[in-house]
Amino acid sequence: MNNYFVRRILQIIPVLLIISFIVFSLVFVAGDPVALMLPDDASQEDVELLRESLGLNEPFLVQYGTYVANFVQGDFGESYRYGQDAMSVVLERLPATLELAIAALLIALVISIPLGIWSATKQNSGIDLIATGAAVLGKAMPNFWLGIMLILLFSVSLSMFPVSGRGTLAHLVLPSITLGTGIAAEMTRLIRSSMIETLNQDYVRTAKSKGLKNRIVVYKHAFRNSLIPVITITALQTSTLVGGTLITETVFSWPGMGQLLIQAVNTRDMAIVQASVFVIALLVILMNLIADLLYRLLDPRIKYN
Amino acid sequence: MKKVFGLASTLLISAGVLAACGGGEEEPSATNDNGGSEDDRTLTVAMGTDMVTFDVHNHVNTSTEAIHVNMFNYLFKRDNETGEILPDLAEGYEKIDDLTWEVKLKEGVTFHNGEALDSEDVKFTLERVAHDSTLLDHINYNSIKEVEVIDDLTFRIITNAPDPALLNRISRIASSILPSEYIEENGMDHFLENPVGTGPFEFSEWIRDDRVVLEVYEDYFEGQNEEWDEVVFRVIPENSTRVSELLTGGVDLATNIPPSEWERVESNEGTHLSQETSNRTMMLFLRSTEGYPTADPKVRKALDLAIDNKAITDNLLNGAGTPTITRVAPGNFGFAEELYDTYNYDVEEAKKLLAEAGYPDGFELTFHSPRGRYLQDAEVAEMVAGMWSAIGVTANVEFMEWSSFVEMRNAGENEDVFLLALGNSMFDAANALDWYNYERFKGQIDYHNEEVEALLEAAAQNMDPEERAQQYIEAQHLLAEDTAHIVLHQESINVGVSDAIDYSPTMDEIIYVDTITKN
Amino acid sequence: MSHESQAVINEVSEDSIRKKPSSFKRWSKLLLRSKTGTVGLVIVLFVFLVAVLAPVLAPHDPAAINAANMLKPPFWMEGGSTAHLLGTDNLGRDILSRIIYGSQISLLVGITSVVVAGIIGVTVGLIAGYYGGFIDNALMRLVDSFLAIPTILFALVILSVFGPSVITLIFVLGATNWVNYARLVRGEVLTIKERDFVRAAHSIGVKSNKIITRHLLPNVISSFIVISTLSVATTIILEASLSFLGLGVQPPTVSWGSILSDGRDYLATSWWLATFPGVAITITVLGIIFLGDWLRDVLDPRSKAK
Repeated sequence: MNNYFVRRILQIIPVLLIISFIVFSLVFVAGDPVALMLPDDASQEDVELLRESLGLNEPFLVQYGTYVANFVQGDFGESYRYGQDAMSVVLERLPATLELAIAALLIALVISIPLGIWSATKQNSGIDLIATGAAVLGKAMPNFWLGIMLILLFSVSLSMFPVSGRGTLAHLVLPSITLGTGIAAEMTRLIRSSMIETLNQDYVRTAKSKGLKNRIVVYKHAFRNSLIPVITITALQTSTLVGGTLITETVFSWPGMGQLLIQAVNTRDMAIVQASVFVIALLVILMNLIADLLYRLLDPRIKYN
Repeated sequence: MKKVFGLASTLLISAGVLAACGGGEEEPSATNDNGGSEDDRTLTVAMGTDMVTFDVHNHVNTSTEAIHVNMFNYLFKRDNETGEILPDLAEGYEKIDDLTWEVKLKEGVTFHNGEALDSEDVKFTLERVAHDSTLLDHINYNSIKEVEVIDDLTFRIITNAPDPALLNRISRIASSILPSEYIEENGMDHFLENPVGTGPFEFSEWIRDDRVVLEVYEDYFEGQNEEWDEVVFRVIPENSTRVSELLTGGVDLATNIPPSEWERVESNEGTHLSQETSNRTMMLFLRSTEGYPTADPKVRKALDLAIDNKAITDNLLNGAGTPTITRVAPGNFGFAEELYDTYNYDVEEAKKLLAEAGYPDGFELTFHSPRGRYLQDAEVAEMVAGMWSAIGVTANVEFMEWSSFVEMRNAGENEDVFLLALGNSMFDAANALDWYNYERFKGQIDYHNEEVEALLEAAAQNMDPEERAQQYIEAQHLLAEDTAHIVLHQESINVGVSDAIDYSPTMDEIIYVDTITKN
Repeated sequence: MSHESQAVINEVSEDSIRKKPSSFKRWSKLLLRSKTGTVGLVIVLFVFLVAVLAPVLAPHDPAAINAANMLKPPFWMEGGSTAHLLGTDNLGRDILSRIIYGSQISLLVGITSVVVAGIIGVTVGLIAGYYGGFIDNALMRLVDSFLAIPTILFALVILSVFGPSVITLIFVLGATNWVNYARLVRGEVLTIKERDFVRAAHSIGVKSNKIITRHLLPNVISSFIVISTLSVATTIILEASLSFLGLGVQPPTVSWGSILSDGRDYLATSWWLATFPGVAITITVLGIIFLGDWLRDVLDPRSKAK
């Protein structure tokens, strides 16, 4: 078991290196931000002068080499836009994004676990159809559209929640519903099929054939065992969840990493892009690692090697 | 297994609580948390983008400056009504010779940290931007050679060459005077985190992509602001969200309201739309490089004549823009009134000119346009393309993301036409007309008019204001006759305002909190 | 050879359906047994037909600007007319025609990007699974890297670098989604390659590339079809999100995502701009998911859900 996890953790290193290379190459191809920093009517000469002053004329490998050397020491360089250490800018924004993502995940779990189980136990019934339909609807509504509609309905018309920004718990409600809906839809479907699979397992069938009440079978046996895949399913949503914050944060002007990233990409703030992709990737990898660990701890059928 | 159940039920319960809180007791905070209506000593402004930095010399960004002006002062400020340049931190000035300007500072001005303003601060500030070529605003100040300190409150600005626009230069964005002692003692990085100025409001906090909070400065040299204790600039990038905040009273002012929302802001009880002509001109830049059809003045003229500028401002800007033939807008030095609020539109004449130029059946061209950068940019581009098809010109409109657009231009890869809307923070024709300097956009535009260039060159160092203005006006007429580029219209500034406050936007797009009062 | 592999599969699978998978009659019977499957197929075919017949069906030129006709509501509302059944947008363009033409790009982007992703993913998965060892390890680290970056973020960076066009969009979405296929296929290959028929082929000296194309590929294709169907739906929605960020297809090209995104500023005032493309997306996604679920039930022997 220990060996397995040591190996898993060591595997993170090449993964992070590959990611840094991919992102660095992309940003390099993207060109430097100098032209974007100057006013709209700057001439090419103005651009060249500033570029020279900032030392941005080095070739690719030299820049990448410098980058990796610094990266190993935990230095992601300085953000052009903020004139500050990129990693500290990113970390400053991390709590806001985590707050939103966790709230959205909770909402998704609250919706998807009962809905998934319920529709699985009543396969092909009207309830199943409604649950599936709702899940599809949740999946088919683009986040930005849903967010704007929620604002128009609950903030402008009903004055129930604040429109945007971060602060009280009330501020969290609409953005987390927006972000959580799509995830909930996906998870409902996954939980439903995982539950159906469990219900078809031999021991559940045996329990049923022994004459145990359906409800007891469902909750005592099937539900418990289908919770284990829920952990994996949840972890797999991390990436979608973080990706979703890009949109949700923009709609609700939530001051998290998503907005920071969009700004950074638009302004070619390479250091910020690098640092935030690194943080997001690490987050996704760790979530999956933890899920893996939990899965193995909880399911006695899996052997460690 | 029990552990799992425990975990799951904890999750469920906390989520339930969360949901309940949102709908339940937290409700009243919905409208008052962001300032606005409840606490009427706080002014809340919603903007589309976050400010860039507190480094006044390193942003070239109007919406950043809109915040800065409330914390800092310039030596001189431009009166938006008259266009006159009036003293601010300065008491007055005297021109010693063509290269030397002597300025005296007002007495008793203090920075927010208590430090008194003196000539050393001015020297530090102006020389920093004049000498450091890595600063983004350096190009607008490199005409300044040095600042000579005479005494605590008197100094001389010495320019490299005669600079008739010096006063415009030091009364525009990036001219805020910084506290030299404070910065030298603590370093620039410390200043950027804890900025200190002389303005009516002092820095409180900046949560990036969320808000900048300023508090009233009690010892402001012109007296403490009596209306507001606190100013909050909120960042709300999504148009519809920004408008919704305004409508629900979450903010008192919302900038950059798109035309699609004007009706909503106007018809809502408690808010109105306040508009002003901006100093930003939307233009089509035509490539005059040999080999392009647009190298022929007749073709350029034909393309201009085919555009019904009024139809654009009426339909896409709900009548809020002003058609014009020159980029120099009213209120700017060197404004040519006869070229403003007018346009040329004659489809028949356009067809005739095209035929004369050898394109009786029209031709095909590529038209690059940014999208979402300027007010209705993509819509204008599509409409222009539609108008050109009436004279047989097929425009293939290519919409581009801003950074690719900038890169394309810098690499000289732009084809026949591209669209830009340019502002002018100097409020001086020199800035606007520098586009017609052949060398400056060689390989990108290649417009070459020696007569115009001679006029511009003469005007650049002409210390006689009247003659100088005349030179710029003449240049604009020559450019219009030659249809150097197609000038479409002046944009409008569109701000949503709560009825509880009295505010109207100014042409420079800056928000002077000191001028905003409660109704 | 393939006969042999089929036999092995039939032994493994308890599902009788798989005995004659090519028989049209059997398939249609299976389809009709599932109500949702039928509905799904009908929807998907309908959308497909609309896309193909767009030039015939669309009442107007989708790009034709008409300043005199801006923001007209749908025909049943006051001020609407039957000339523009679903109303017009902020430039006076006919919304129905735009949605009809938009289906072309939405489907094109959705389907081709999945094909691109499938080709890369299946190839990588087959190679990694078959050869194992260092190659497998290296490829799987690459897969992990891509999995760790959210698709939309990856697309955001690439599209802003290379500029959004239909072609880049297809390749970006393909280049980010291939990892799902790679992982799935690799997993399948790992189990199949231990089966007797593969071992037998090995022992009689059949070349690796032949084993891969003749034995492994046909056996992973059904799982591929199932998840790729669902991917088409996800991609259509993702394209809309990218439009929101300004990086979707650029005018004059229209997709449902771009119409929806352009209409969002009008949600409060002229709701029809953003509602109808939204309805088109929802119905299509619904159809694709129904069809995909049905395909999964039929094709995947491990899923016993009906």
